[in-house]
Amino acid sequence: MTLRTPLICLALIALAGCTSTSGNWGWYVIDPTTPAGYNNIRFLLNGFGATILLSIIAAALSMTLGLIVALPGMSANRWIRLPSRIYIEFVRAIPLLPMLFWVFYGLPVVLKSFGISVSIDAFWGAIITLAISDSAFTAEIYRSGIQSINKGQTEAARTVGLTYPQTMRYVILPQAIKRILPPLANQFIYIVKMSAFASVIGMQELTRRANELVVTEYRPLEIYTLLILEYLVLVLIISFFVRWLERKMGADESK
Amino acid sequence: MSENSPAITISGLNKWFGDYQALKDVDLDVAHGERIVVCGPSGSGKSTLIRCVNSLEAHDSGTITVDGIEMTDARAVEAIRAEVGMVFQQFNLFPHLTILQNLTLGPIKARKLPKAEAEARAMAYLERVRIPDQAHKRPAELSGGQQQRVAIARSLCMEPKIMLFDEPTSALDPEMISEVLDVIVDLAEDGMTMIVVTHEMGFARRAADRMVFMDQGQIIETGTPEQFFTAPKSKRCQRFLSQILQH
Ligand SMILES: Nc1ncnc2c1ncn2[C@@H]1O[C@H](COP(=O)(O)OP(=O)(O)OP(=O)(O)O)[C@@H](O)[C@H]1O
Ligand SMILES: [Mg+2]
Repeated sequence: MTLRTPLICLALIALAGCTSTSGNWGWYVIDPTTPAGYNNIRFLLNGFGATILLSIIAAALSMTLGLIVALPGMSANRWIRLPSRIYIEFVRAIPLLPMLFWVFYGLPVVLKSFGISVSIDAFWGAIITLAISDSAFTAEIYRSGIQSINKGQTEAARTVGLTYPQTMRYVILPQAIKRILPPLANQFIYIVKMSAFASVIGMQELTRRANELVVTEYRPLEIYTLLILEYLVLVLIISFFVRWLERKMGADESK
Repeated sequence: MSENSPAITISGLNKWFGDYQALKDVDLDVAHGERIVVCGPSGSGKSTLIRCVNSLEAHDSGTITVDGIEMTDARAVEAIRAEVGMVFQQFNLFPHLTILQNLTLGPIKARKLPKAEAEARAMAYLERVRIPDQAHKRPAELSGGQQQRVAIARSLCMEPKIMLFDEPTSALDPEMISEVLDVIVDLAEDGMTMIVVTHEMGFARRAADRMVFMDQGQIIETGTPEQFFTAPKSKRCQRFLSQILQH
């Protein structure tokens, strides 16, 4: 519903541009019926692979890291809780772009001073940054999901001899997953959008390619319009999946 | 452990929640095979006391010894939990598992029992609590009374020497109370050592060897059901009994 209006507006702007004779619009740069336009479109669309791969790996790492951060964050012991709290507050406070620069340009230097000599390329630099930045949010998603499960479940598990990891694995997480998965999937949208920042360190994903084409073709309006549409399609597909997941999990819940 | 040493020895037990003292210098010995019923007004510390016995609550001072094992470190806590079963007011069954899986989870994961053996044991205890036909349902499909009987069977599958019950019938509709109490009486007659927190005085008369009355974190009075119901010594206990027996 809410999406229809902006989509119609976009379509109208595009149509207006096609018929315009004032020369302000130049859809020919991405006109698939001409060889040059076709090549340009292919060049732009080829960024999908990198954006998606980057996002998926970063999300997987973030989900793992988030769980590792979240578990001690729920301890009854405040000294075990503390590092988790500090990590979350700290990471949430850092804007993505500075963190990206720090990881890409600074982290190799830090590692080198510890005798670890690795070069971090744009792909992994972006993944590490996105994963760390996002893990603060996934950690909070895990925490609220796990804490929504009645304390009696943990107690019952303890009285039948389960250890803490067993209690998590067999009793708490299978129940909490319904509260965790939909917001985690939603968080994936955040990663996809933030992956655009990888363009500034030279990662050849959607945004970087659009930028490069703009530099050679000098048609920013048309190219960036297409870029936005590319993200829109990607995010709408994920949103659709999230809604489906929410319905499915919600239906399970009421059983 | 030796049969003449007590099953449970609690001495000088103190427990604080922040600056609220929930247990004050509690002493209690429970012999092997003894059935204790604990009663007292709301907030008197009954749940806290039995939760300390299997370390669901950590106590602040005093000693707890269960079947010869003194609760000193995490190792001892594990060993004690292996001897003690617990049944909760709210059942606390695992809603995502079937009844059978609820019963076999502990034996399979904690005791490393082969699945077939764990299931045979589970079915035997389901027979015992008289609901073998519900084995493949989920907890939500059972009545409250049935769920509580499953919870009892789940504890029994760990073959504990001691059973703790925290108001096992308080969350039940009246018509289901007796089916659960019958199962507990049955266990009592088999010689299971147990501490039962309950306000079911009919049950106490039938099954208890000894009554324990608590108020404001202290044990005020103990005695046989006979003494306790006919001639309570303390004023507080008399008042409590007159209130509860009115219903
Ligand atoms: N986790 C906790 N944090 C703070 N206070 C608590 C906690 N658990 C219990 N208390 C307090 O300790 C006191 C004793 O509680 P407890 O649950 O042992 O009482 P009870 O005798 O079982 O009462 P009831 O009949 O209502 O179950 C109460 O005043 C209660 O508010
Ligand atoms: Mg209680």
